[in-house]
Amino acid sequence: MDSQTPNAPEVYVDVREIPLAQPFSILISVCTEATVHEVRVDAIMPAHQHGLNYLPEVSALDEGMFRVDDLLFHMPGQWKLQADVDFSRRSVSYTSEITLK
Amino acid sequence: MKLWAAAALMTLPVAVNSEVLLSENEIQQTLSFGPWPPTYQPDPSNRVSSDSRAITLGAALFNYPGLSVDGAFSCASCHDPEQAFTTSEARALGRVPLNRNTPSLRNLAGLRWYGWGGKSDNLWAASLHPIIEEQEMAHSNESLKTAISESSYVADFESIFGNIRNQDPELVLVNTAKSLSAYLETLRTERTQFDSFRDALERGDLLAAATYPEAAQRGLKLFLGRGKCAFCHNGPAFSNNEFHDAGVPYFLSETEVDEGRFGGLNFLFSSAYTLDGEWNDDSAKIGSWAVRSVRRRHSDFGTFRTPSLRGVAETPPYMHDGSLIDLDAVVRHYSELDTERLHADGEAILSELSLSEQEIADLVVFLETLSYVTWP
Repeated sequence: MDSQTPNAPEVYVDVREIPLAQPFSILISVCTEATVHEVRVDAIMPAHQHGLNYLPEVSALDEGMFRVDDLLFHMPGQWKLQADVDFSRRSVSYTSEITLK
Repeated sequence: MKLWAAAALMTLPVAVNSEVLLSENEIQQTLSFGPWPPTYQPDPSNRVSSDSRAITLGAALFNYPGLSVDGAFSCASCHDPEQAFTTSEARALGRVPLNRNTPSLRNLAGLRWYGWGGKSDNLWAASLHPIIEEQEMAHSNESLKTAISESSYVADFESIFGNIRNQDPELVLVNTAKSLSAYLETLRTERTQFDSFRDALERGDLLAAATYPEAAQRGLKLFLGRGKCAFCHNGPAFSNNEFHDAGVPYFLSETEVDEGRFGGLNFLFSSAYTLDGEWNDDSAKIGSWAVRSVRRRHSDFGTFRTPSLRGVAETPPYMHDGSLIDLDAVVRHYSELDTERLHADGEAILSELSLSEQEIADLVVFLETLSYVTWP
């Protein structure tokens, strides 16, 4: 995932399959030695000026891994996935663009 | 790229001049509207889902006037099986004229939300609410128990659910609704001319696909492209089952509005009959994530659930208030969309389509091919 913050730790998103208008899950991995206190995930459709109809649920796994459930893209098109990662002294925002046909 | 059914020109006179007009990308999009019918799993939240005895009882109760407190009407009075499980009135007529068009009851199995405002997250709850709504069938739990106990269906009811005398009236209500739901799950629309076209494309049988009317293909191209219809009407049922502002006025009077999804969510969160509640028969509560995770927003005001387009030609009039009398009027509504009526913070891609008369006719022909009965 991309971030505008200088020296932001690398964050990767593992997306296997995204069914249109059906719930799906993703994995987010944060590559850092620092403690990650919280990860919040959301998504928007910039061209449509709306976001998700459901609040995703984030669960911490081991070693900087987080599972995100209850994501649902209810329209085809370009979505911008957003992840806000809270480290001990700062919060860093990441985005990743996903096009759903 | 156009894919020509060239072989048809040589061998089948009926297909002369026919062709598949879709691009490769459009063909891939078209495949996503099937296959039809889909396979359904029994509803885990309803222990009598797919039970043949419950289906039979539900069908009988659907037509039983005793489900209304005074025997005035049955479910079938508004959801007429002879009229695709709806009626031709713009707005439903309960004990008083209601605010919304009666939705058809086909293809309801497995949806995430039910009703124009999505006030139910399961089919048995959607079947239950009209029985106790004051403006509809107006039963209390107690009066319904009495009605079932004194009906000719009590033996069938007890063979499924046990002795009715030992059941709390609320349990009788829920059991009655779950029987109705078991029946409603069986109502499906038939395969259509569109499905034959879609399946031929999947097989790569362009000769067969090319028999789909060119006007319908042109309409489909508009549906997928400039019309932007497939943003909401997608998947095998042609619905994303979510909620949108389609520019239809939601003022009921100068001082009253139909709150749409906003009101639906308020109702949902106060309901005891959700998948997250104690009446769910599924201990795993599959599907309950939606009621727990759904967001409430001011922009829900006046949005309504995207209706399926399966069988759409059989169910005029259209929109949540039944204000558009036929498919031609619906297409013209979007062609001449008044964007001033849309939410300022709502869907940003809707715009006036300014379709030509030919394009309007093509879209109507396409929509008609989504019904079992089609017109030339």
